[in-house]
Amino acid sequence: MKEQRIKNQIRRLRFEANEMTQAELAEKASVTRQTIIALEAQKYSPSLELAFRIANVFDVPLEEAFQFD
Amino acid sequence: MKFLNNYSNRELNIWAELILNILVSLFFVSKVFTSNQFGGEVLVQIISTTIILAIVYSIVVFGAINALTKREEKDERDYIYELKSYRISYYLSHGGILGIICLIVFNALYQENIGLLTPPKIAMILLIIALLSSTGKSLTQLFNYRKNI
Repeated sequence: MKEQRIKNQIRRLRFEANEMTQAELAEKASVTRQTIIALEAQKYSPSLELAFRIANVFDVPLEEAFQFD
Repeated sequence: MKFLNNYSNRELNIWAELILNILVSLFFVSKVFTSNQFGGEVLVQIISTTIILAIVYSIVVFGAINALTKREEKDERDYIYELKSYRISYYLSHGGILGIICLIVFNALYQENIGLLTPPKIAMILLIIALLSSTGKSLTQLFNYRKNI
């Protein structure tokens, strides 16, 4: 399987944001919970738009939420 | 009910679609080949029975899935997997149609009756190609969803 080169800190950011649940994050970022699960497992690279939406939910810069390996 | 928690509404719908395709294929092909009727009234009867059974299945199963699980809006990942599955479906259907064209050309060139080329039989092959292509589409989607969990 092709390894994803975009890593993310979503799980850590969720816990730092009062242990936000995957469902809550999914709702705020307008995606399904399955997409959040796939993102946290580093098995899906989001579009630039989704990456910005997720970073906005946590109120952090994009590069803190996502890194390119 | 715990089983339902592991699958999203969309995945369950795809599973239901896949099972419907398999059931329709099995029912239709077995009925046609056991009765050995490739045309006429019997075929119309088999087709109508298949359609009625598929409608009943759809109402019951899709209704139950949508009642028991929360319906979610499609997101970018759903669209990407849908596009990937459409590509597989496209290759399968075009491969099948190319196969039929080759059979017709082969038959015309060598003037051999290979027993496949009466219009009802070609219609039957087209139907099977449509079912295969739909099954391929569902399988690709399920593979992509499960691969990333």
